Amino acid sequence: MTDIDDNKWDLVISADKNLVSFDIKEILQYKDLIKLMIRRDFVSVYKQTLFGPLWFIFQPLMSTLVYMFVFGNIAQLGTDGIPQPLFYFSGTMLWSFFATTLQKSSDTFVNNAGLFGKVYFPRFTMPITYMVNALFTLGIQFGFMLIFYVYYFATGYHFALTPWILATPLYIVQLAMLGIGFGIMTSALTTKYRDLRNLVTFGLSILMYATPVVYPISNVPEKWKILFQLNPVTPIIEMFRYSFLGNGNHDLLMWLYSLVASIVLFWVGLVTFTHNEKTFIDVI
Amino acid sequence: MRTVVEVENLSKEYRLGVIGNGSLYKDIQSWIAKAQKKPDPWVAMDETSKIGRNRFWALKNVSFKVMQGERLAIIGRNGAGKSTLLKILSRITAPTSGTIRMKGHIASLLEVGTGFHPELTGRENIYLNGAILGMKTHDIDKNFDEIVAFSEIESEFIDTPVKRYSSGMFVRLAFAVAAHLNSEILIADEVLAVGDQRFQEKCLGKMKDVSVNHGRTVLFVSHNLGAVKQLCQKAILLEHGVIKAEGEVGEVANYYDQMIRM
Repeated sequence: MTDIDDNKWDLVISADKNLVSFDIKEILQYKDLIKLMIRRDFVSVYKQTLFGPLWFIFQPLMSTLVYMFVFGNIAQLGTDGIPQPLFYFSGTMLWSFFATTLQKSSDTFVNNAGLFGKVYFPRFTMPITYMVNALFTLGIQFGFMLIFYVYYFATGYHFALTPWILATPLYIVQLAMLGIGFGIMTSALTTKYRDLRNLVTFGLSILMYATPVVYPISNVPEKWKILFQLNPVTPIIEMFRYSFLGNGNHDLLMWLYSLVASIVLFWVGLVTFTHNEKTFIDVI
Repeated sequence: MRTVVEVENLSKEYRLGVIGNGSLYKDIQSWIAKAQKKPDPWVAMDETSKIGRNRFWALKNVSFKVMQGERLAIIGRNGAGKSTLLKILSRITAPTSGTIRMKGHIASLLEVGTGFHPELTGRENIYLNGAILGMKTHDIDKNFDEIVAFSEIESEFIDTPVKRYSSGMFVRLAFAVAAHLNSEILIADEVLAVGDQRFQEKCLGKMKDVSVNHGRTVLFVSHNLGAVKQLCQKAILLEHGVIKAEGEVGEVANYYDQMIRM
């Protein structure tokens, strides 16, 4: 009985000083929880609402209409020859997928303090839940975008589909990694500094204008272009539009840069998150 | 009998006073003041005194062992370190030093109805709450009818959102889920302070029954010495973060009784 062998025990709790203690197996054990959490968040959003799931479409549709009016008609910004509704709608849906994932992940600890203070489950399940929910929304919006697509196709508009369309899942994974990565990185900080939450909200609305959502990158003056392309979201949105609509910029080098940036940011996020998740409850 | 929980030299230190100033802006002001060797503009009044800067040990070198099938009570006054010990055992916070080793599937119950969502129905909440407590969906499927029966909720209400439930129904449903956790080790806080007297008795009975018949180990924290004596065989008395007494439940409870009377 006195011989203590850690291998014989199912669980060892100690003051862990490991830099990364991310356990993918443990998260897979909680996949039922993830499924139910996704369902909970998805269903509770439209319970007791008038339009229910239609809100997932209304919001980007209204934004698209406003952008068409403000940026398309008043400001006369170009769209690289892409029909305006398709241009704005595709940009908005990709951006809100990224922004929602980031914003919600950054509130992981603050919003779940009550739950995390009472029961243990891998904390990383929450950012996954947020991302998958945003992904469902994106899926619905993507389906809607195809309606626009078919409409323009039927009215004789010529789309030059490119084989890059096959890389679409990769664009989405990239956006998810960037959103979660940035989000969980700030979640560790928002626990200590609550005002960073305002900064995240504010920063995201500013960052949207530094991303080609309402204008194409080709409209950006040459000397500023490199600065805009350093934003890792920029090449993803540009590549998406290029893949589906055949127009616009596609700078493969910048896209590779953004791919590397996504992986690095995601990893840095994981490190800070796993470092903080064990004792955040003492700070909050 | 084999040891299923082993706690060795467990300590937990908390910092007293304010951790940071709550906002980055204020922290930066504090740093600037420090750099200029001026007094910190945000320092709290009580922090200038010596006590405020002190660190505080909520637990200090706590060691004990629990055998399989044992029901151990952890008692002590408010602030003795019971909740801290439970939080560390439940992996809600990490210890400052020391180690805990456990065998088997652990379920911890610091609150009933954790994660219940008012908009979801009773049925949906059973699944969600069960999953939060570490159950798999197919385990809940198997126990579903039993859970509903235990909760004494009429089956026509099970598909109603729980926000329409009476508080009694809510609590009974929440405890029913918890009572059907199929874990080898159950860690429970004063969750029995819910429901009416009869339902509390029923919950205690259920916990004891699972322990006696299925060899489940129970770690139970309570102020209610009656409940403690009814359920547990052994007890640990905590005082100021250290173990003051341990042994057979009756003796420890008497000791505690005398201690609080002094």
